[in-house]
Amino acid sequence: MTHPINGRRRAAVLALPLAAGLLLAACGGGDTSGGSNGAEPQSITLSYASANTNEKAWETLAKDYMAAHPGVTIKTNRLALNAYNQTLTTQLQAGNGPDVFYVNAGTGQAGSVGQLAKSGNLAPLSDPSVTSVIPKGYENLYSYNGKVYGVPNSQAFAAVIYNDELAKQNGVTLTSTSTLQDVLSQCSKVKSAGKSIFGLAGGVPQNPGILSMMIASSTVYGPNENWNADRAAGKTTFAGTQGWQQALQSVIDLNKSGCFQDGAAGAGFDALTNGASQGKIFGFFAPSGATKDIMDAAGGHVKLVALAFPAPQGVKTYITLNLNIGISGNAKTKSPKLVQDFIKFAVSPDEVKKFADAQGSIPVGSNISASDLLPQYQPVAGMFESSQYRPFGADSWPNGKVYDALGTGVTGLLTGQKTIDDVLKSMDAAWGS
Amino acid sequence: MTTTTGRTEPRRAPATGRRVASKAGAGGYRIGYGHWWWAAPAVVLMLAMIYATTATGAFYAFTDWTGIGSFTWVGLKNFTTIFSTPELTGALVNTLLLAVGFLVLANVLGLLFALALNRTLKTRYILRTLLFMPVVLAPIAVSYVWKFIFAFDGPLNQTLGAIGLQGLQHDWLADPHLALAAILVVMVWQSIGFTMVIFLAGLATVPVELEEAAALDGAGHVMRFRKITVPLIQPSIAIATTLTLIQGLRIFDQVLALTGGGPANATQTLATEVYQQSFVFGSFGFGAALALLLSLLILVFTVAQQRLTRDRL
Repeated sequence: MTHPINGRRRAAVLALPLAAGLLLAACGGGDTSGGSNGAEPQSITLSYASANTNEKAWETLAKDYMAAHPGVTIKTNRLALNAYNQTLTTQLQAGNGPDVFYVNAGTGQAGSVGQLAKSGNLAPLSDPSVTSVIPKGYENLYSYNGKVYGVPNSQAFAAVIYNDELAKQNGVTLTSTSTLQDVLSQCSKVKSAGKSIFGLAGGVPQNPGILSMMIASSTVYGPNENWNADRAAGKTTFAGTQGWQQALQSVIDLNKSGCFQDGAAGAGFDALTNGASQGKIFGFFAPSGATKDIMDAAGGHVKLVALAFPAPQGVKTYITLNLNIGISGNAKTKSPKLVQDFIKFAVSPDEVKKFADAQGSIPVGSNISASDLLPQYQPVAGMFESSQYRPFGADSWPNGKVYDALGTGVTGLLTGQKTIDDVLKSMDAAWGS
Repeated sequence: MTTTTGRTEPRRAPATGRRVASKAGAGGYRIGYGHWWWAAPAVVLMLAMIYATTATGAFYAFTDWTGIGSFTWVGLKNFTTIFSTPELTGALVNTLLLAVGFLVLANVLGLLFALALNRTLKTRYILRTLLFMPVVLAPIAVSYVWKFIFAFDGPLNQTLGAIGLQGLQHDWLADPHLALAAILVVMVWQSIGFTMVIFLAGLATVPVELEEAAALDGAGHVMRFRKITVPLIQPSIAIATTLTLIQGLRIFDQVLALTGGGPANATQTLATEVYQQSFVFGSFGFGAALALLLSLLILVFTVAQQRLTRDRL
């Protein structure tokens, strides 16, 4: 008894591996183009993210380079800021990352210089004219194992974005020489009028986080610039440092004195924008570039300044410098020379000034004078000129969990779920994980 | 010996008059197991996209992969860390609380609405549509609307203040004790229509005559419900409870949109922790361990629940 099905069975046996093979061929290996004639491709991709959707600083940089170097094409690729780190690491892991890209300093985030250099995704930078841009003492933010892998192309600071005119109308005065006690004494005055000096988005961990870091720059990193190194060496802990206790106690005091809006513990960023536009809050905590963003969005009808957060009485106030916006090259790029040249161009003095003005930030470099700064930064010009700043400490923490423990912990302080010791101990625990 | 011609010889009809269903044996067209290979492309796709990826994820649960670069095998270290971290055991408890609360409330309320809108009421079709409408909305959009409602200066507090109930005003989403309940309210609100529709389908199979006969025999509403309706809608109960249990254990959108897991991790669930550990902190290995734990939890609960609600008729 013959069965015609035999022929079908044979076909069936072949069909399965054929289907599998086709599927796997589609998944595996991308195109292997790339000339073997020695010349690099003159076309590269630049990925970046920016908090301000209208900001054109990176696009202008790419255009300037193309204008100065005919024949070169730079394809810019703007990614959403909140998903930038994940997107970048996924692309680099898959092997189709951009040639040159915006990168975060330090080791504290998923797409940061330290973490990407560790996994071999960044090209080392050796040109002294490029690496000298990094301010002295901050090299560790852009290095790994002694080699430099990225360079900042702008700087900013964690600021109190403050509407001075509105505050003065309500009888509140805050200057760069104010202390925390000056702030606390004025808070209850405006609270009874249904307003508050500051708005806090307690429901978003980064906002209480940035406030805490601003105070810590004065209470912890001010007296001890090398606190992070001491912590890494096990010489100190968060829970055992009086400066950290003081910083968190300051946040509790601000809350108790009514310095934040009602419902701050659960508020989102919309509470800040609504409150600011209704004139109910005079200031909030954000990277300094937000001053330009908001003034642009308001069409010039509002005048804002960026201040450092007033330190407690007896403690010197320091600016929390943010050297976080940097640029790095992909280790596996097909155009290494072009990438290095582009990075060098990006940190040249003319481009740096243009970039800072377009972004509303501060030109990178160590010797800042008042004339380099935009009008909204004039109140803190003196602090810049006397180098009264410390880098944003969390950038050099070993992982992102520590900063998250700080942010969520401070929210817990506001709701009464946690004590200062709980928060600092959880930060120590996260450091080691 | 049979020939292999294309045509079958006509069969003699057996005496009973019943036709033999299969035409096999005489060679020619045969629906046999050989056609399994027609499903091969789909099977391969499913193996690659679902099972292979799940297995790979499960593998990474035993490593310390950061999503980029190399990794090392750490065995059960991720799992011991999960059970020794209060935040994560808290997330496990929240997941169970939300799942059980959602299971009970969504099904009870859905059944009550189904019973109410099953018969008699003239406007029942319009009401059914209105109750089902929230189900078709995207959970994240619904959550953002509710976030606005629950906001400290939002409509809920304003209404309470307007009718003189200032004492009941709370920071609903920032109070660690109330936030989880607020999330549950949003989940249940959106899913009542879903369970109601399942129960309506089940109730439609309950013959009116049975209930009338029972009523004639003196059975009250509750007795009729317990002895007639519930046994007959057992399949609907099984389906509705299984789906709501799985949905409840996987809860993610609502938590992320309403509280982000806060205040201070008070409303974290396993799914939101998986997201945070993997994509925010870059600990893919640890996140995979959490995901594996969640999958096992869903499997265990679903099997147990299936056994409890299986049809015993």
